[in-house]
Order: sequence, then structure tokens, then C-alpha cells
Amino acid sequence: MITVSHYLVVAALMFAIGLIGVMRRKNLLMLFFATEILLNAVNVALAALSNHFGDLTGQMFAFFIIAIAASEVAVGLGLLIVWYKRTGRLDLDELTTMKG
Amino acid sequence: MEKYLYIALFAPLVGSLFAAIFGAQPKIKFVGLAASGFLFVSFVSALVLLFEVMATGQAIHVEMMPWIAAGDLYIPFGFVVDQVSAIMMVVVTTVSTIVHIYAIGYMDHDKGFNRFFSWLSAFVFSMMILVMSDNFAGLFIGWEGVGLCSWGLIGFWYHKESATWAANEAFIMNRIADLGMLLGIFLIYWNVGSIQYDAVFAAAPTIANDTLVWIGILLFIGAMGKSAQFPLHPWLADAMEGPTPVSALIHAATMVTAGVYLVIRANPIYVEIPDVGYLIASLGAFVALFAASMALVNRDMKRIIAYSTLSQLGYMFVAAGLGAYWVALFHLMTHAFFKALLFLGAGNVMHAMHDELDPYKMGRLYPIMKGTAILMIIASVALAGIYPLAGFFSKDKILEVAFSGEHYILWGTLWITAGLTAFYSFRLIMLAFFGDTARYKEHGIHPHEAPKFMLVAMSPLALLAIVAGFFEHGFVHFVNAVLPEFEFHTHHVEMILIAVTSLMALGGIAVAILLYRRGRISTKWESTWVYKMLINQYYIPKIYDLIFVKPYGAFSHMMWKNIDMKVVDATVDFIAKTVYSTGEKTHTMQSGNLSVNLRWMVVGVMVLLLAAFVPTLWEFASNFYTQNLHYFGAN
Amino acid sequence: MMDHILSFLVFFPLVAGILGFIVNKDSIRAYGLSVAAIELFASLALWFNFDMSHSGIQFVEQASIVSAFGINYFLGVDGISLFIIIMTTFMTFIALLGLSETPRIKNLIITVLVLEMTMVGVFVALDAILFYLFWELSLVPMLYIIGAWGGPKRIYASIKFFLYTFTGSLIMLVGMIYIAHMYYTLTGQWSFSLMDWYTMTFYDLNVQFWLFMAFFVGFAIKVPMFPFHTWLPYAHGQAPTIGSVILAAVLLKMGTYGFVRFSLPLFPDASVMMMMPIAVISVIMIIYTAMVAYAQEDIKQVVAYSSVSHMGVIVLGTFALNVEGISGSIFLMLSHGIVSGALFMLVGVIYDRRHTKLMSEFGGLASVMPAYATIFGVMLMASVGLPLTIGFVGEFLSLLGFYKVSAPMTVFAGTAIIVGAIYMLSAYKKAFFGPVTNPENAHLSDLNGTEKWALIPLVLVVAWLGVYPKPVLGPIDHSVKALVQFMHDNAVTEKAKAIIPAPLADANKGEDN
Repeated sequence: MITVSHYLVVAALMFAIGLIGVMRRKNLLMLFFATEILLNAVNVALAALSNHFGDLTGQMFAFFIIAIAASEVAVGLGLLIVWYKRTGRLDLDELTTMKG
Repeated sequence: MEKYLYIALFAPLVGSLFAAIFGAQPKIKFVGLAASGFLFVSFVSALVLLFEVMATGQAIHVEMMPWIAAGDLYIPFGFVVDQVSAIMMVVVTTVSTIVHIYAIGYMDHDKGFNRFFSWLSAFVFSMMILVMSDNFAGLFIGWEGVGLCSWGLIGFWYHKESATWAANEAFIMNRIADLGMLLGIFLIYWNVGSIQYDAVFAAAPTIANDTLVWIGILLFIGAMGKSAQFPLHPWLADAMEGPTPVSALIHAATMVTAGVYLVIRANPIYVEIPDVGYLIASLGAFVALFAASMALVNRDMKRIIAYSTLSQLGYMFVAAGLGAYWVALFHLMTHAFFKALLFLGAGNVMHAMHDELDPYKMGRLYPIMKGTAILMIIASVALAGIYPLAGFFSKDKILEVAFSGEHYILWGTLWITAGLTAFYSFRLIMLAFFGDTARYKEHGIHPHEAPKFMLVAMSPLALLAIVAGFFEHGFVHFVNAVLPEFEFHTHHVEMILIAVTSLMALGGIAVAILLYRRGRISTKWESTWVYKMLINQYYIPKIYDLIFVKPYGAFSHMMWKNIDMKVVDATVDFIAKTVYSTGEKTHTMQSGNLSVNLRWMVVGVMVLLLAAFVPTLWEFASNFYTQNLHYFGAN
Repeated sequence: MMDHILSFLVFFPLVAGILGFIVNKDSIRAYGLSVAAIELFASLALWFNFDMSHSGIQFVEQASIVSAFGINYFLGVDGISLFIIIMTTFMTFIALLGLSETPRIKNLIITVLVLEMTMVGVFVALDAILFYLFWELSLVPMLYIIGAWGGPKRIYASIKFFLYTFTGSLIMLVGMIYIAHMYYTLTGQWSFSLMDWYTMTFYDLNVQFWLFMAFFVGFAIKVPMFPFHTWLPYAHGQAPTIGSVILAAVLLKMGTYGFVRFSLPLFPDASVMMMMPIAVISVIMIIYTAMVAYAQEDIKQVVAYSSVSHMGVIVLGTFALNVEGISGSIFLMLSHGIVSGALFMLVGVIYDRRHTKLMSEFGGLASVMPAYATIFGVMLMASVGLPLTIGFVGEFLSLLGFYKVSAPMTVFAGTAIIVGAIYMLSAYKKAFFGPVTNPENAHLSDLNGTEKWALIPLVLVVAWLGVYPKPVLGPIDHSVKALVQFMHDNAVTEKAKAIIPAPLADANKGEDN
């Protein structure tokens, strides 16, 4: 029997993978992938809990996240392309203009 | 009659404001004349009021308008002319009218002529408020008002350092005393619910004795400042920096007697507390002797007279303290006449000597200044208390009062003082007007007699100094309508007392004449410690400077530089700097490297997660513990 | 017109200030003056239409802003705030009148007008959030005035001023939100309206005490009370004359007004509890700052520290918690506003001529500038509280009021009249008396026309209210009686009820709300 806990474990594992990706990767494209994994981890958890409690709000929320993630990727990728055209690289460590 | 009351009160104010309009302009003789004219009007009104009160025996009481009303407190501008205030008004306006006229001559060459009259008339106005008010707050208006005018007039020649210093000293010392008076007023208000004289005096017998003692003491502290009683006396001698008419009017005849007036006015309070009265009398007797001793050796003509004033104020306080209020008031009146006369005479001498005040530099002025000399001798004889001049009657009565109450120590002190008074008065006369040599010639001074009109202006004072004593019986009868009677128990020895006192005074005069008949005495005794102590005023000004003035300045500076800047402000700045430096140290976190930022973000998430979970975990653990206690070996 | 006079009073200077941007530079002074004059007349109209027989709030305007949280646009005045408002408009007008030639004068005048809006707003607001809004907004124009037109250390001074007072008021805001929440738990509705708050009684004395402290910190820093006063000398030292005048005359009064409006009626028991500690602080303020004032070399700092010293007497009078003391302290707020404002203007006069404020540079000014010396002398005497000047009435009543509470404390506080005379007279002596030693002072010109126009009204007010304070003191007294009665009724403990008197005969008539 697959219970809600299994889903949550999967979500947690996905979240951990995404988090490690976010922290370790230096390539901006990879960073995006990792972010997507993070978002989807949350989506899995939301959908599972929604089903568990019989409340559709969670699934609604998941859809919102998917929509937002899509638009974010669209904007983000656009920015990345501009950045790549300008510098020829996509290395995270070079983006240091926000130094305090 | 109200009309006259308002005229008497406000005529000096009108004169003052009129003079103030021309305050910054060069001398206009008319200003002086106008101010004197207004004062004369005030004088006539005061006389009318006096006769009215005399005729009807009724006090005139008016309430002009409300002043302060808050909570249950209600203070009006109310004025009362009863027997006491009528006498005071007449004395004040008489002396001030004469001084005003005199000052037209005296201030003739001064470029602050108009300003002077403005201040002088303002002073008279304040003094009138002081004596006419029907409540303690009104009294306080006048009280502070005369203080202000005294400040302005002592420091009249404001380019002189010594004058402005003396002015500030006088103001501040008086303020110390005024605080006492203010507290006395507060205490009265919270016990009586009013500060109207009528209400307070009616309630006085019902107030608890302890409270009444405090009221009496606090009010007397106020009186000590204005009347320059020990230990608040040094300002009076320094106040002689002011122009001489000011000394005559303010620091001899009127303002300094305000303290005595207060005690007389508040007699229903002091009657209830004879112990405080005795304290006042003792202090008065001490000051009488103390001040007279300083007058013995002083080498400044005006200061000698100032100490003499101080000494006479002591006499008045003895009488007032022992309950002989009418005697105090009587001496206040006679003293005002002859002391003002003495000061104005000194002013003439000063003018003649080009502002030289040292009597050792005078000598044999009599042939040149006959008029002034005669007037001053009259005043000195009156001051010494020789029959039949005014001083004899009033001073002798004070000694009788002391004797009658069996206060022999007080009597003895005053008796000795009477001798000293006679001595220093005639020392001054001998040094200035007589002697073998005209020492002023050595100093290249060419004295001249004062203008005739100044002498004429002084003559009414001389007349009063001679005859005022004969009004004694009428006076007693008149003021005893409002003042308590004083029972003398000295009828059997009255003549002896008079003889003893008069002998003392005559003796003092004789010694002075003998000692100083040739001018100054040998300088040998000037090196003795007694002389040094007296000429330095018992070192009191120096001690005050050492223990109050200097430490106050140093302490203030320390407060500012060390406490305010280095402790209070530095603490605030320290907090601000800590915040700043925390920012300085932590800003390296913002390296700008996104992956580092991301890691920090993860740390943040972890911290928040932990914060959210720790209480839950804790709760879980403790529940687990309590539910499974038996596993942990608890019984 | 009279229905919306308070809104007019608040927003007219703001609108006029914004419109001021399109006025050209040559006529901006006349423009600013006429705006201030209209504002002054409007506030006087408020006085003439004020119902003296009524002790509660009048000219009420109420509109909801955030109804869910009970935040209202709620304005009103009573006898306590009425005269502070008039003093505000009057002093702003006088300050603009006496404004000397300054660079960027247009910005300065517009800033002053905006500042006037916030100041009037503080005194008419009866909603806590609205009060807080104006309270904080008033910092901004002042910050700008000090920071842009100040002396060499202006940035330090202005930031210190801003952060210091801002910190205090944040703590006050927490207190306000807590009370509103209490109201919510009691009634199920949020409300920031003071009138609603007055209906609550804080039975838990601990809560009352901490709320009192939260407000106290905000107000005490503004007053400024010892030991929170050190921002003031810097602010005054660096501020231009007009900034100092308004700061001393009006901004400091916000703190003491806050005590009367919030602390006393809301927390009567805590006020009684804190009476003596506050009295001790006040006495320290009075004596300590007076001594510091005596040590100063800069005449403006003397006036600045003297301000703190006098504020001590005001706080003392307020915490006498009886009608005499509170009425006196409110009257003293007015008189202090006028007198210290005048003194700062007078200091500005000599600064314009000599570009220094050090007393050692002066000396003998009395003979060179007699009119100036005379007016300075009058203000000095008002400052030391001479009877028949405006300064005496408030000081006398404040001390009289506190004497009921504690005689020994009053003795110490009463030294204000001595130490005040010491620093003022010695400063006057240093600057005005003696011979003219500095040749630069020998040919200074006396007061010019503008300065006379600005200063003479102040002299007249000083004399008028000193001799006849009734028109002002009457309505104040009337409202204060109601306030004290309300405090008496609202107090929880018997001790507080015993200390706070009940001045109104019929005990059921409290604050009209």
C-alpha cells in the first residue's frame, strides 16, 4: 500500500536533490534544473496531501506553481540567453555585481 | 477713594513707561521732570488715602481683575489700603519723590538719564504693588519686581564689571530667598486653600502649629533675602555700585525694608509662633551688631552707610520678632527718612569728590559744603538716636521692647550696637567734613557744593528726620487698629533705660569726635587681626566665593565635559556605534557570489525549519517522557 | 466652514506647500508668510468658535480609513490642545517672519509649511495611528531642515536626531498596537480611537505599567528627559535659526502633550506609581542641565540646555496629577514655546551679524544694540519666571501643584528659579554688559525692521499672558478638571484614587466620550 508518507518521502528526496543541485552547481542552466526539481518536489507533496485530506486547494496550488514555474523559466531563460550573448559564459561565480 | 488708589499705584508706572519711550535717547530733562511729576501725583494720592483711612478707620479694598485661576486656586489683582499699607505708601512715595527730584541733578551728566528714570519709576511701581497687595502672590509680584529693578539699577553702569557682577549677585541671592518665600506660599495654599491675606490670617489660629512654624520660617527666609539678613547679606554692600539715588531709595529706605514689612503684615501668623519670632529677633540683634562692627573700619563712604542700614534692619527685626510690630514699622519709617537723607548727602560728597568714596581722602569739606554737611549731621544724629530727633524715639522703643520681654542679651547687644552706630556715623562725619587738613588737595580734587535745588529737595527729609519722632502717639493709635498692641512692662525703668541708651550714643559720638578730630588715627591698628577681619567683612564674601561660586562653576564644567559628553552622550553613541560595527563586520557575507548567497539562504531555511520544529519536537519528547515514565525507572 | 476647520488646519499648509513649488523665488517669502498667516487666523477662528463652557472635545471630524482595524481619521480639540495648536501656528508664522536671507529659501519655506502640517496634525489627532503618523512625519521635514541648512556637523546631528526619536516612537507604536489588540479581545472589534480607549480600564497593573513604559520611552525622548536629552544640544547647535525656533517651541511639546493625552488618562495607576521616579528624573533634569547650561561657551547651547531644564518643570507639573499642576504645566508649555522660540530667534539675530555664537566674542552689546538688548532682557526675565511675564504663571502653578505631592521634591525642583537665574544672568552679562572689547562689535546695527516685526509680537504676548492669563488658562483649566476627574474615576487602585483628586462636584461626569 502506498500511503501519503511514501509520497512525502519522495518529495523530500526530490527536494534534497534539488537543494544540493542549487548549492553545488555553478552553471546557471543546471541551477535552473535544480530549481525546477525543488518546485516539483513541493508539487508532489502538495498533490499527495491534497488527495490525503480530500481538499482540492493543494492541487490548485500545484497548478499555480506549474504555471508560475513555466513563466519563470521563460523569463529566466530569456535572461540567460541575453547574458550568454553578452559574456559567452554561464558561470555563477562571475555574477558578483551585487557585492555589499 | 478707589480712584486715588489706582492713581497712587499706576502713576509711577505711567512715568516709567513714558521715560522708557526715550530710553535709548540722550538726556531729555523733561523726562526726569515728568517722572518726578508722576511720582508727586502718586505721593499726593497716597496722602489722600492716608487721611481717608485715618478719618474712617476703614481699609479700602479693591479687586481690579483676576490674575491666575486654576483648580481651586484663585489669585486676583487685589489691593488693600489699610493703616499699615497707607503708612508704607506714604513713606515710599515721599522718599521716592524726593529721590527723583534729587536725581535730576545727580544724573545730570549721565548719558543713561532717561533710562535711569524709567527704571527708578518702575521700582516705585513694584514697591507699591508689594505694599498694597491683598494676597501673597501679589506681594510676590512686587517682591520680584523690586528685585528686577534693583538688578537693573545696581548694574545701571553696565560697562563696569563690578557693577554688573554686583547686580547679578543681588538678583541671585534674592532668588535663593524667594524660593523660600514661594514654598511658604505653597504651604499656605495647601493648608488654607487661599492665599488672600484675609483668609490666611483668619485661618492662622486653626492651622497646626508645626505647619505654621514652617510657614513662618519659609516666609522669613524670603524676608532675609530682601532685607539682607545674615547669611544672605553680602549683596547689599556690593549693591553700592549703583548710582547713589538708587542706594538711597532702594537699598536704604524702601526695598530692603520689604522683609520687615512682610513680617509686620503677616503678624497674625507670627503671633501664633513666638519661638520663630524669637529666632527672628535673635538673628536681627546679631545682624545689628555684626553689621555695625563692619561699618567701624570701612573705608568706603557708601558701604559704611550700607552696613548701617543692615544694622538698622536688624533692629527692626528685633522689634518685629518680639511682637512689637508697630515699633518695627515706626523705626522703618523714621529710618527711611534719615537714611535716605544720609545717602543723598553722601551722593553730594561723591559728586564733589569726583566719585571718590574713601573718607580718608576727604577732610575739612565743611567750609566748602556747608549745606550738605549740616544735612548729613542731622541725619547722623538721628541715626545715632539723640533726642529729639526721629531715631531717638524709634530706636529707644526697640530697646525697651527687648528689655520689656526680659531678653536682656538682645537688649545688651542692641545697646552696644547703639554706641557703635553713633561712633561710625560720626567717624564718617569727622573724616569727611572736619579734621585739620583738607586731604583731598593731595589727590588733586577740587570739590564744590551741590546745586541748590538738590539741597532743597533733600530738606523735607531733614525736616522729617527731625520731627517724625513726635508723631509717635498718633502713629501708635493709628496703626494699632490693625496691628496687635504691645504691652510694655518697663514703666518703672523707662527713664533709666532712656538715659542709659542716650549716654551710650553720646559716648559713641564723643569717642568718634575725639579720635578723629585731627583726621585719621594712627595706622598701627590696621595691622591687627581684628581690623583685618572687619575690613574683609569677616572674610564672608571670600568664603562664599570659595565654597559656592567657584565650585559651582567647576562642577558645572565637570558636569558638561565629563558627564554629559563622556557618559550620557557617549552611551548613546556607543549603542549607535555597536549597531554600525555589527553591520561593518557582517557585510562580508554579501560577497555578491550567488552560490554563496544561495548557501546562506539554505542555512536560513534550515534555521527556520528548526525553529518551527524544535517546540514540536520538545513537546513530543516531553509527552513521550511523561507517558512512558515507568520505563525510565520512576516509581 | 467650522465643521471642517481641523482638516483645513491640517491640510492647508501641505497643499499650500506643494503649490509653493510653482511660486517663483522672489515672491516665495510673501507666499509662505501669507499661508502661515491664514493658518494662524484659522487657528484663531478655532479659538473664537470654541465653546468655553464645554470641557470635552470639539470640532470633531471622523471618517474611517481602515475599518477592519478600526483606524479612523479622527480629529478634535479640547482646551488642552487648542492653545498648543494656536501656539504652533503663531510660532511658525513668527519664525517665517523673522527668517533671514538663506540659500534655497524656497525649499526651506516649503519644508516649514509641511512641518506645520505634521505638527498641527499631532495635536488634533485623536486616533492613535493618525497621531503616530503625524508624529513620525514631523521628523522628516526637521531632518531635512537640519541636514540641508545646518552647521558643519549637520549630518551627524540630523541623523542622531532622527534615529534617536524614531527608536523611541517605535516602542510607543508597539504599545499602541497592544492596546488596540486588548480592545479587540474585549469587544471583538479593533479600534485605535482614543475615545474608545478611554472607555477601557486596565485592571492588570502589570500590563498598565508596561504600557505606560512603552509610551513613556517615546515621549521622554521627545521631551527630552534626562538621560535621553543629548540629541537636543546637537540638533540645536547645528540647526538653522528657524529650525531651532520650531524645534524648541513646538516639537518638544509633542512629548509633554503625549503625557497629558495618552499616559495620564489611560494609565492613572501607573502614573501614580511612576510619580516619584519621574519627579526624580525631572529634578535631575532641572538642576543638572541648568548647571551644564551655565558651563556653556556658546550662547545657543545655553538656550538649548535651558530648554531641557524648563521641560523638567513641565514634566514635574504634569505628574503632580492635580489640576493646579497639570494646568500649570500646559500653560508652561505655551510660555516655554514662546519664550524659548524668542530666545533662539534672538540668538539668530546676533549670529546673522557676527557668524559666531561664542559669548567670548561678544561683550558690551547693550550699548551697541540697545533695542536688541532690551528684548533679550525681557525674554530672559520671562525665562527665569519673573511675575507678570508669561513664564511665571506656568512655573508657579507647576511647582505649586507638585508641592501637594512632595514638599522636599518641590524644594529641589524650585531651585530652578535660582539656577535658571544663574545661567541666564551670567550669559547676559557676558554677552551684553561690560565694555565693547571686540572691535567687530563696535558698529553692529541694531534690530532691523523685519526682526522687530517678528520679535515685538512675542514681547507683547509675553506681557499680555503674564498679566492676564485668564483667556488661555480658563479653558485649559476647564478641560484639565475633566481630565483629572476622569483619571480619578478610571483609576483601579484605592491608592491612586486617594492621590488623584476629584475636582468635579458630580462624580459621574467624566471625560466626554
